[in-house]
Amino acid sequence: MDSDLLVIGGGITGMMAALHLAEAGARVRIVDAGENAGTWANAGSLHVQMQSRFMRLYPDQVPAVEASLPLYKAAAEEWVRLDALYGPFELVRKGGLMLAEGAEQLRFLEGKARREEARGLSVEMLDRAALDGIAPWLGPQILGAELCRDEGKLNPLMANARLLAELDRRGVARVQDRIIGLEQQTNGLVAVGRAAVYRADQIIIASAWGAGDIVRGLGVDIPTKAEPLHMNITEAAAVSIGHLIQHAERSITLKQLGQGQIVIGGGWPAQDRGRETPPAVLAGSFLGNVALAARLVPQIGGLRVIRTWAGMNTTADGASTIGRLPQASRVVMALPGDAGYTLGPLVAKMAAAVTLGAMPEADMVRYTPARFAA
Amino acid sequence: MTQAAEHFTFDGHSVPLRAGQSLAAALTDAGLRRFRQTAKGAARGVFCGMGVCQDCLVTVDGVPNRRACMTAAAPGQQVLTQNPFPDLATAKVPLAAHPARVIAPDLLVVGGGAGGLSAAIAARAAGASVVILDERKVGGGQYFKQSAVSAPLDAQQAAGAELLAQALAAGAKLIGEVEIWGAFDGLLFLAEHKGAALVARPRAAIIATGAYERPEIRPGWTLPGVMTTGAAQTLWRSYRTLPGKRVAIVGSGPLNLQVGRELALGGAEVVMIAERGPAPWLRPLASAVLAFADPGLVLSGLRMLSDLRKRGAPVRHGTRLDRIDAEGSALRVTVTDGAKTTAVTADAVLMNAGFDPQNEILRLLGARANYDPAFGHLRVVRDERCATSVPGLYAVGDCAGLGGAPAAMAEGRIAGRAAAAELGFGDGYDVFADQRQLRRHRRFQRQLWALHDVAPRLPEVPDDTLICRCEEIDAGQIRQGLGERPGHAGTLKRATRVGMGRCQGRYCGLVAARLVAAATGMPVDERSYFAPRVPIKPVAISSILAAEEALKDGL
Repeated sequence: MDSDLLVIGGGITGMMAALHLAEAGARVRIVDAGENAGTWANAGSLHVQMQSRFMRLYPDQVPAVEASLPLYKAAAEEWVRLDALYGPFELVRKGGLMLAEGAEQLRFLEGKARREEARGLSVEMLDRAALDGIAPWLGPQILGAELCRDEGKLNPLMANARLLAELDRRGVARVQDRIIGLEQQTNGLVAVGRAAVYRADQIIIASAWGAGDIVRGLGVDIPTKAEPLHMNITEAAAVSIGHLIQHAERSITLKQLGQGQIVIGGGWPAQDRGRETPPAVLAGSFLGNVALAARLVPQIGGLRVIRTWAGMNTTADGASTIGRLPQASRVVMALPGDAGYTLGPLVAKMAAAVTLGAMPEADMVRYTPARFAA
Repeated sequence: MTQAAEHFTFDGHSVPLRAGQSLAAALTDAGLRRFRQTAKGAARGVFCGMGVCQDCLVTVDGVPNRRACMTAAAPGQQVLTQNPFPDLATAKVPLAAHPARVIAPDLLVVGGGAGGLSAAIAARAAGASVVILDERKVGGGQYFKQSAVSAPLDAQQAAGAELLAQALAAGAKLIGEVEIWGAFDGLLFLAEHKGAALVARPRAAIIATGAYERPEIRPGWTLPGVMTTGAAQTLWRSYRTLPGKRVAIVGSGPLNLQVGRELALGGAEVVMIAERGPAPWLRPLASAVLAFADPGLVLSGLRMLSDLRKRGAPVRHGTRLDRIDAEGSALRVTVTDGAKTTAVTADAVLMNAGFDPQNEILRLLGARANYDPAFGHLRVVRDERCATSVPGLYAVGDCAGLGGAPAAMAEGRIAGRAAAAELGFGDGYDVFADQRQLRRHRRFQRQLWALHDVAPRLPEVPDDTLICRCEEIDAGQIRQGLGERPGHAGTLKRATRVGMGRCQGRYCGLVAARLVAAATGMPVDERSYFAPRVPIKPVAISSILAAEEALKDGL
């Protein structure tokens, strides 16, 4: 199957890359495996401040994330632009509150806030009295919080559906297949799928945790890793929680969608059951995640959790990977670092610009795939 | 009927109750049928009557989203119409009255109906310790449907009471009002029991969760006053409450005839029973085969038809529901036989177009299943001892695929003894007699259903007919979603929100799987449905918190 440009991966990054490329007039095809909840499982938090969960799990990757903070801020702004252009996606940008339950956690947040401010984020420490003014529903044990005004939330199902409609309108073809690898053939580079072989002038790889396997054959070692995790959602209540809620030490995100449901997540692990089966929700994760939410916001205790789902987060080295492969210059990587849904549209925009020759690679040296030379 | 002495209030108005009644029954007795308001402003009331559909929600003493069908009415309760967006600042957080309870029997039986009770009796007889968990306050299940307010109404209820008494006498422990919401590998079950957490870690489990009813998805099927036939039967048999004075029944199958007769005997005017299947006298061969398979049951069936005729309840064969419209406080029911349409007015419309298994626990634990195209649902793969593909997990009765109560009882006896033997209780046993009976019951079921018409259907409805009751997604939205992203029921769910609501797709999810199969040409199999996930039923966050506290050191 031929097209000018092939995008591997039909999640938020792949969709947005395809949209930019199609807008530039290219004939674009997206191929997506549609497997394992890797696509379309995100819950729609717009993360900008450094997530304590990530800092704890991957301390060695913190410098890369910290250096990327301006990228996160720009990514949230890119979402605001998309919301205005293609939305509404129920995007709300009231900011994110990272809560502290003890003096040590407060000190940690104060230090973090200073580092983030230095990178241009709009942050502020709030004491309990200030919190009572904006979030009176927090549990009595909360001493204070870091407010990051750049953060927000949106309804990802709504955003995905609208963006998909835009792709259809621009004639972007979509195929369900799993790409096994890339091959250099006499007449150029092809992507080999289980069902077909795809030929294109350039190939954009936006397949998150699946990307490492696809490019390995070209002599590139990008350590993308799938991190199965699960999310919980409650029945609806009157909207009263405007902020994205996180914790200074523990894994949690909590937010209320525009339609009133409360989404509880934060990266609690799910059980990987292979490519063919969606990950399973673990008892310990379900109990721990929801119980933590109930302690931080006790008033949600009367609501019921009606559904959970599991998806895959992707980690590599903390930073995004954007740009041409030195080993195969017609392959462009488009891999967000942590918080893929937040970064996806901006990473896609940058990767599309590289593909179209509209962005000097020197501007993106921090994200270059060259750092993964095998 | 005893004189009502006690009252609760509904939106400030006094409503009488009889001891033992559910809120749904007491409200129905008072002529109240609009319990909740949806996000789009529609009114909803009792639909499934068995805790599945989540449509009869009310606020009880400040706690939002309680199911009226599963909540006992109590004097002095303050009940309110459920607002779709309860205010978190004023919503009362239910506090567990008791600490979490942890049980570890040899054998856990999930469901105290015909199959579960039979399994418990057999396993106890072999010497295993047995705990039965049931959702209802009174065990017995949907077939034996015990009375919560009075002595047994008839032989069927008396037989259920007898079975229940046998199980208890055998030493099985029955815990009622238990809602199981989690099932995990290694056989860990998490449940809510009267607001407190219940944790079960059995060595083996027999799942006997039965079936729920397949509705007629037609315009008007979500109106208050429209309910499943089983919901009406529970109102009458468990609470002595008639679903309405004038009742119309639509769909297909023997339950519709039975409940029509019971309600007529109870004093309701049954204005019509529309049966999709052709008249038995038009299918003499199938009828004769059935009569040969079980003459007794066929005779009682004939008696039922003649009883209905005597009471002036017309049974129209070859007739299906077209639409239901609200007409003042009544419902106008339009049916068609393909050639002509007829309309009747009723104040309750009952529907049953077959049954679908409550197989959530089995699917969640990974038990394999095959699709049965005749009944349009999954049949769990079992060996001759009713063991599933998951070690230590057995399935009996309708939850493994429709088979009827007599078959469920035979399967229960087989599985109860087999599970006990596997755990080291009782040695060799002869299941030959039970298996012969089981074959006979299964044969009868097949022939019985051949006289009716419960084939799985695609919803041939106008675009504005709701398919997903909870999220209020209509056929037009689903058709559009299918056009854009036909891949899988899960994809359709994310594209349209179909099945994302409180009932977790119990009704629309099955339709979505069928529609996707039709659109893609792929056969339906166990993976065609929404991925099984916890919670199996919506569970209060306060209850999850209590379970976490009980388990945090032991998971």
